Amino acid sequence: MNDSMKAARDIITSYDGKPLRIMEVCGTHTHEIFRLGIRKLLPPQINLISGPGCPVCVTAVGFIDEAIWLALEKHCTICTFGDLIRVPGTEMSLAGARAKGADVRPVYSPMDAVDLARENPEMQVVFLAVGFETTTPSACLAAEAAQKEGLRNFSLLTANKTMPNAYKALIGSADAFLYPGHVNAITGNGVCKALCTEHGVSGVVAGFTASELLTALAVTIKLLSTTDEPFFRNCYPRVVRDEGNPAAIALMNRVMEPCDNEWRGLGMIPQSGMKLRAEYADYDARLKYAMPVITGKPNPACRCGDVLQGKIRPCDCKVFGKVCTPLHPVGACMVSDEGACAAYYQYS
Amino acid sequence: MCVGLSAKVVSVKDGTAMIDASGAQRAVSAGILEDLEPGDYVMVHAGVAIAKIASDDAQEADDVMEELL
Ligand code: SF4
Repeated sequence: MNDSMKAARDIITSYDGKPLRIMEVCGTHTHEIFRLGIRKLLPPQINLISGPGCPVCVTAVGFIDEAIWLALEKHCTICTFGDLIRVPGTEMSLAGARAKGADVRPVYSPMDAVDLARENPEMQVVFLAVGFETTTPSACLAAEAAQKEGLRNFSLLTANKTMPNAYKALIGSADAFLYPGHVNAITGNGVCKALCTEHGVSGVVAGFTASELLTALAVTIKLLSTTDEPFFRNCYPRVVRDEGNPAAIALMNRVMEPCDNEWRGLGMIPQSGMKLRAEYADYDARLKYAMPVITGKPNPACRCGDVLQGKIRPCDCKVFGKVCTPLHPVGACMVSDEGACAAYYQYS
Repeated sequence: MCVGLSAKVVSVKDGTAMIDASGAQRAVSAGILEDLEPGDYVMVHAGVAIAKIASDDAQEADDVMEELL
């Protein structure tokens, strides 16, 4: 541990001021803060709240139902990030659909799904495009590649989400946000700066190593306790630049456009999603397969929505650790490693 | 799924970068990072290099704390 890390740790452990609520917006932050033992360093006045930044956790039940419809009714091959396979839909998960004969395959990248479609012209491949600004460029690259090659057996089922309006929906739920470093690597810092100057929201951009999380928390605690002014700091400058990644932003705007989007637990947030532009209609699975409107019904026992807004801790949910475990998840927050309920179950 | 992987660029050709992450090599898209060169360090996410990495995290901690204190 170098001197800077020690100084950061000392700021955190010696804090004895007023109670502070700091929201880790990103699920990977939640997980890493637990895994690295940083939670144990925190004095009791510091309350870390888990936010909605796990893409698997905020994917709506209806989206899982749509994917299952494509798999079972249209016999599409579903390619997805692995975490999504066990997320409960209304009646079953994609794993359950697989047990009924559906072809569901985990992939590392959307480009792997394009490769699968190219190599297997008899298959109809659908990639489940979830994720925030960090992940959306990879789905856009896949759509562009498929169009360029003229692939007729590849499409995307989109549920891509964007953070700005979600931040606005969360205003007031914490004294400061730890912003997700890899979202800002793409978008830049403009949105977070505007939240600070226009809405009085404080926050810092955080990376993911022990040193990055300690310094980000130290900066947050120090500034919250010494100034009444809202603040913004980039504590992940080795990866995040003010302007973000302009080529990625241009790519997303070329291939997709904003749309209203449903977040599990938070409901419909206007203009908080991305869908394929009309030029890519042939690659939009909902249009290609004339999908009916499918509305999911979440399990009423699950309180993911309250967890994702920091209103309750996972252990306050009645079924946490009893009926709902990582092996038998009732809600999405228990499925993904980045989910708050899974992190609490694993580490506390 | 949001975990990034930091890796060193070994070679770049036709929009694809070969990267080395702790000895494991794989091809990733260089489609949203122009001017990548062998020897650069990048953050990789879902098979795409999303950002160049400018320094190590110890140097970064020094810079962040120096500004704070
Ligand atoms: S413990 Fe399970 S049921 Fe309760 S909020 Fe978390 S995921 Fe939902």
